Amino acid sequence: MGFEHGTPTESISRRDLVRLSVGAVAASTLLPSLLSQKAFAQPAGQGKLQEVLNRKMLIVGTGSTNPPWHFEDEQGNLIGMDIDLARLVAKGLFEDPTKVQFVREAPDARIPNLVTNKIDVVFQFMTVTALRAQQVEFTIPYYREGVALLMLKASRYKDYNDLMSGGNRIRVSVLQNVGAEDFVHVALPRSQVLQLDSQATVIQALDSNRVDAAAVDQSTVRWLVVRFPDKYKDSGFGWYPQTYAAAVKPGDPVWLNYLNTVLHEAMTAVEFASYRDSFKKWFGITLKEPSVGFPVEYAYRF
Amino acid sequence: MTALQVRYYFHWDVVWRHIHRLYGGLFLGLELAVVALFIGSLIGLGGAFARTSRSRVLRAVFAAYVEFIRNVPLLLLIYFAYFGLPKVGISFLNNVSSFVMALAIYSGAFLTEVFRAGIGSIPTGYIEAGKAIGLTRLQNVRHVVLPVMFRIVLPSLSNTFISLFKDTALASAIAVPELTYGAVWINVNTFRVVETWTVVAAMYLVTGYAIALGLRRVERRYAVIR
Repeated sequence: MGFEHGTPTESISRRDLVRLSVGAVAASTLLPSLLSQKAFAQPAGQGKLQEVLNRKMLIVGTGSTNPPWHFEDEQGNLIGMDIDLARLVAKGLFEDPTKVQFVREAPDARIPNLVTNKIDVVFQFMTVTALRAQQVEFTIPYYREGVALLMLKASRYKDYNDLMSGGNRIRVSVLQNVGAEDFVHVALPRSQVLQLDSQATVIQALDSNRVDAAAVDQSTVRWLVVRFPDKYKDSGFGWYPQTYAAAVKPGDPVWLNYLNTVLHEAMTAVEFASYRDSFKKWFGITLKEPSVGFPVEYAYRF
Repeated sequence: MTALQVRYYFHWDVVWRHIHRLYGGLFLGLELAVVALFIGSLIGLGGAFARTSRSRVLRAVFAAYVEFIRNVPLLLLIYFAYFGLPKVGISFLNNVSSFVMALAIYSGAFLTEVFRAGIGSIPTGYIEAGKAIGLTRLQNVRHVVLPVMFRIVLPSLSNTFISLFKDTALASAIAVPELTYGAVWINVNTFRVVETWTVVAAMYLVTGYAIALGLRRVERRYAVIR
């Protein structure tokens, strides 16, 4: 091809032009046929959305041991905020919130189950991280998680400010984790930190008066305060924000957009009542009705 | 087909950087085991004499204690001492003393049986001889039964001490900063699981073996010739 004689363009000979012409004709002939073969494998509009509609059942990956997100009631049925949101998607798809098949999975199976098509979507308090976003696609957020300080209602300390004034007398339990001590010291710089090996013992240490506060997920604090209002209280301080969103297998913008639409409308418009009721049920907080008129998501904050 | 190759690069420096947590934890574990063995031995001695006494009530009480403790996991006792006792108003024990108490009660049950077997192994002629030279019952226990019994049970006491030392690993469940707790801390903060557990396993092994060698010398020194 004689690159040494000049630029590639300059060196194109007549023979090359003939070859190019033949190639172009061949491509124009074969391409529709190739495209039609692809269309045969995945008919027009046959993305995940159509697949789910045809199946008449939504398959959702979730857990079963983490209240208030996904856990079992006394009859063994899955309940929780994640479950409510999954049912909302099913309601949008089939006008029937019961058309969901839940696949119980450990947190480390969330991404593998998605990418191997075992499930259509994950609703399992999945924290959005840049690393995970390279493997899955996240929907819009449906909750902003944080860490909060759970306290006993009978505690001699009233709230966060009171804990702060307790200085190094304050003891806080937290799950053993990377930098757990520094993490607690962001909220209570002089506190004594007790690192325990499970969330259950972190809360148990509070129950047994071994500590003055337990640093746990804010949603857990809200759930426990709703469930046991006479026993627990929230210190009123939250930190370390992280986003929860649903996740799908990458490469299907129609399906992702559909889920985003359902979640968006649930948090701002048509299905707001359902989202509000779930939020109240699991976190004990009544959300304000979105204002009518200018869309709330573009509204300025004054 | 190429076989799947997993390359793992060791980073021992991560463990050396935090080695003070492991050394500190090792010495704390040894202290916990020694204190628990001492208290457990006192419980065990009392239990052994109660189990061999003429009182049916005492025998029944200590038999129940031994059976209860022998059939309950140590971790459960630790949780009970640390999380359960404050619920009934006993909260003056911190995590270290809660653990020592649980371990002492646990070892006390096993040592009751060890000492009982030791007392049972003393030839009756020794006790009869004590009586013959005019020793009171208490003097007989102090000058004849206890010295002979301790020599008989020394090998079992050594084993119990090594077991107790290894059991101190369970103290990590209530945040006592012993060796295993130190290892978990390094793991969760550096994710160097293989390096950390390798070093910790070696530390347990060397320490346990050193204790065994030392106690074997003591056993030889005080061996009973029968």
